[in-house]
Amino acid sequence: MQAVKQQLRQEQTYYGDNWLIILTLLLLCFGLIMMTSASVEIGASLYSDPFYHFKKQLVFIFLGLVGAGIILSIPLYWWEKSSYGLYFLALLMLTLVLIPGVGYTAGGGTRWINLGFMTLQVSEPTKICLVFFMAALLSRHHDFICSSIKGFVVPFLLLMPPVVLLLLEPDFGAVVVIMFAVMAMLFLAGARFWHFLLAALLVCGAGAALIFTSGYRMRRVTSYLQALKDPFHEDIVFDSGYQLAQALIGFGRGEWFGMGLGNSIQKMYFLPDGHTDFIIAIVAEELGVIGVLALLGLFVAFIIRALLIARRNERNRKFFSAYAAYGLAFIFLGQVIINVSVNIGLLPNKGLTLPFVSSGGSSLLTCMAMVALLIKIDIENWSGDQRKPTETV
Amino acid sequence: MTSTYIEKEQSIWRLCLVSTAAITLLGIIIWKILDLQVINNEILQEQGNRRTVRNDVINAHRGNIVDRNGQALAISTPVLSLWLNPREMLPNQQAWERLSVALVDIEVNTDVLWNRMQANAGKEFLYIKRRLAPTEAQIILDLAIPGVYSQEEYKRFYPLHEVAAHVIGITNSDDVGQEGLELAYEDWLQGSPGSKQVLKDRRGGVISEVKINEVAQPGKDLVLSIDSRLQFLAYRALKEEVTRRYAAAGTAIILGVKSGEVLAMVSQPSYNPNNRINLTDEAMRNRAIVDLLEPGSTVKPFTVTAALESGLFDTQSIIDTNPGYIQVDGQTKKDPVNYKEVNLEKIITKSSQVGAIKLGLAMGEVPMLDVLSRVGFGTAIGSGFPGEASGVLPNHSRWSKSDIATLAYGYGFQVTPLQLAQAYMVYANEGLLKPVSLLKTENAVVGERIIDQELARTVNSMLETVVSKELGGTGVRAAISSYQVVGKTGTAWYYNVGGGYDTENYNSYFAGFVPAHNPEIVAVVTIHEPKGEEYGGGQVAAPVFKKIAAGAMRILNVPPDNEAHTHDQISMQYTLPELNQPGIRGEL
Repeated sequence: MQAVKQQLRQEQTYYGDNWLIILTLLLLCFGLIMMTSASVEIGASLYSDPFYHFKKQLVFIFLGLVGAGIILSIPLYWWEKSSYGLYFLALLMLTLVLIPGVGYTAGGGTRWINLGFMTLQVSEPTKICLVFFMAALLSRHHDFICSSIKGFVVPFLLLMPPVVLLLLEPDFGAVVVIMFAVMAMLFLAGARFWHFLLAALLVCGAGAALIFTSGYRMRRVTSYLQALKDPFHEDIVFDSGYQLAQALIGFGRGEWFGMGLGNSIQKMYFLPDGHTDFIIAIVAEELGVIGVLALLGLFVAFIIRALLIARRNERNRKFFSAYAAYGLAFIFLGQVIINVSVNIGLLPNKGLTLPFVSSGGSSLLTCMAMVALLIKIDIENWSGDQRKPTETV
Repeated sequence: MTSTYIEKEQSIWRLCLVSTAAITLLGIIIWKILDLQVINNEILQEQGNRRTVRNDVINAHRGNIVDRNGQALAISTPVLSLWLNPREMLPNQQAWERLSVALVDIEVNTDVLWNRMQANAGKEFLYIKRRLAPTEAQIILDLAIPGVYSQEEYKRFYPLHEVAAHVIGITNSDDVGQEGLELAYEDWLQGSPGSKQVLKDRRGGVISEVKINEVAQPGKDLVLSIDSRLQFLAYRALKEEVTRRYAAAGTAIILGVKSGEVLAMVSQPSYNPNNRINLTDEAMRNRAIVDLLEPGSTVKPFTVTAALESGLFDTQSIIDTNPGYIQVDGQTKKDPVNYKEVNLEKIITKSSQVGAIKLGLAMGEVPMLDVLSRVGFGTAIGSGFPGEASGVLPNHSRWSKSDIATLAYGYGFQVTPLQLAQAYMVYANEGLLKPVSLLKTENAVVGERIIDQELARTVNSMLETVVSKELGGTGVRAAISSYQVVGKTGTAWYYNVGGGYDTENYNSYFAGFVPAHNPEIVAVVTIHEPKGEEYGGGQVAAPVFKKIAAGAMRILNVPPDNEAHTHDQISMQYTLPELNQPGIRGEL
């Protein structure tokens, strides 16, 4: 029986995990509708075209599909082989963006490089590069990393340069998401538990140090602590806490079923980032608890499918693919959890997008590329035509 | 495989642990979302409402002012005021460009508007242009330029333009009464504005109307006693004469004898209340109520009335005015010619100064002051008109002969033209004083008897001679065919406020009523500082009275009472096809 099944598998063409594809399409549709609804006013006011952001997003979805096609045609082996290349690519991008004249500054951070047809937020492709670099590192040097404290420190040392560069931009949100994903990868790869706890402690300590050494970050944190107590306190509501207060109002207005699609008031210039980082507040206002839970449900299902792909690879002893897939899944998970937490005031504002839903080309292209990579991983695992990676050092 | 080798494939517990952690985080998030959206959402909604719910004013319709026949004198028409939201417009260059192009059509200077917008960058409201015709404004609103809004307002329109401007007055730019009856009856005319609850976006744009808090209560209509037709008539006649005589000013008043209503009240110079540019105090003053004049010879009927009441004189009494002048306290007062021996009637007919002075000196000031105060001089009419003057009767501690003589021929005290008209209405009503009203009166007005009916009739018959050509009256130019006019001329030196009389400038008056028996209207015409050879009341004011009286008789369909002339008109009627020839219909 088993043999017949295997036979069948190899004869059929496999297009990847159906559920993952369907969920991705659902998220894209949901995102496109909500992003359009949230951006009509801003678009009409700034560009005299209510569908400015809708059209832009459609173009990026198309570009994303082209990108996905390219990624699906590249064998996974190439990614593993060029893992150091990816690492240096990330370093290159992160360095370039800091060069005056090349980097493009907006909203308190130098995070973009103008490519002519779009401005690329470099932290987005950096996430993919570092996940694949870590996956390759972990699969090649698994025993070294997982057995000794010396080995365990190596990935962190290698992560130091890109993290420092990201902090210089600054893009604290990307750092948190990347660290979150890397920690999860290490843990799932089998890092020693106490190593892991130590590392978690150190990372938290480093984070705290970063906060206390910078007046700017310190203010952000005090404002966050104030907002936890009273988001409408006059000290913050007209300043750093403004967006949060407006986002919370959006949640409060939504109740169970929302005010109806298109009926948000917060998008009427009250919430300037209503179509980007704070889009879930608009979803909450227009579609209510039901809408928010539906969206979160889609994300949860999507991440579960991604984790299952990773687990299947692990079971098939395709460790590079498995770690990469875990990494990608945790990038998604981290970004969703942090973005929503920021919107409801559980975390201070980081400047993170909600995958597939927020307006923004870099984020959308990266998310679609990550889905394409997950599908590629799944296809190669299924058909078994992956060239054997080196298993041992 | 060595002992240090760690199996790469992990058992499921690590994934389960991580998943449990993620689910825990998710649970916290969902709990927090439920808390925000359904458990403790009131405070958030309240905070939201604070930022969005606003109350806007709904302008109330101001009551119309209509004349006694329901013709509109002041109406409020809905207009649209265009405004823009600088906070919305400034960042939107394209919208501004579209607006600039459109604004050319409604004659708005875009450079000025741009500067105003810059100066009010932080504000949410800036008028582009107020009170546009709805069709004009709609053209711009149809362009749907973001940040451009309209507000419904009402614009006051005065169909009679300058003709009734003084009586009606005007409203200010916020539709609040500023002058005249618009001001006097502000509370009546002004409705109470309503309010509505609206949702506004952060830049102040209205998203939607939530509810009407309070419905706007429209103001009530005001029905004036004015008759537009008579108002027109009086205005045209007065303006013609004032223009022809290069006079400084003038007034004309028509009162309805039976009701005491003001049927017409006009002043010169006037202004167009529909165009607020070039408004001057001079032009806006309702001289008929606000200005005080020395009545001059128009008081002679009152002097004669006092003389008759005193019992010292009767209709047969002969007063010797020889030699045509009289010395009083060293001052010489004279008549134009020597009228020799005259009776009371002739004093009125010829307006003899000497005769009037002799009457005055004979009876003293008390009977004269008594009559003057009874007919209403020195007391405000009580029309309610803003700035109404009351004038004062002289109150000397010791009356010299000169003071008494002055009073007898109408100097030394001041009255308004309206007071003069009211006083003459006493004779028209054969001794009954009736209150004057600017509003249409519903019920018949019962007068107060202040002069004996017979006595009043006697004075009236004397006043009839003023317009008699045969008797050489001073007011023959006021006579009209078919109707017997009763009235008196007056010519007064212009009294300078600084003191003393200006012997170069005169005020010319004619006051009277028509028809003589069963009179319909009282009219007073005053012309201020006419230039040229002719300046007397009989020369300047009487012709205006004639036009007004003749026209009024025609308009009011009053049956003719003058037999001799009536005949002419009836024979004329055969040659004229219109059966409703004014003034004749009543007879047929």
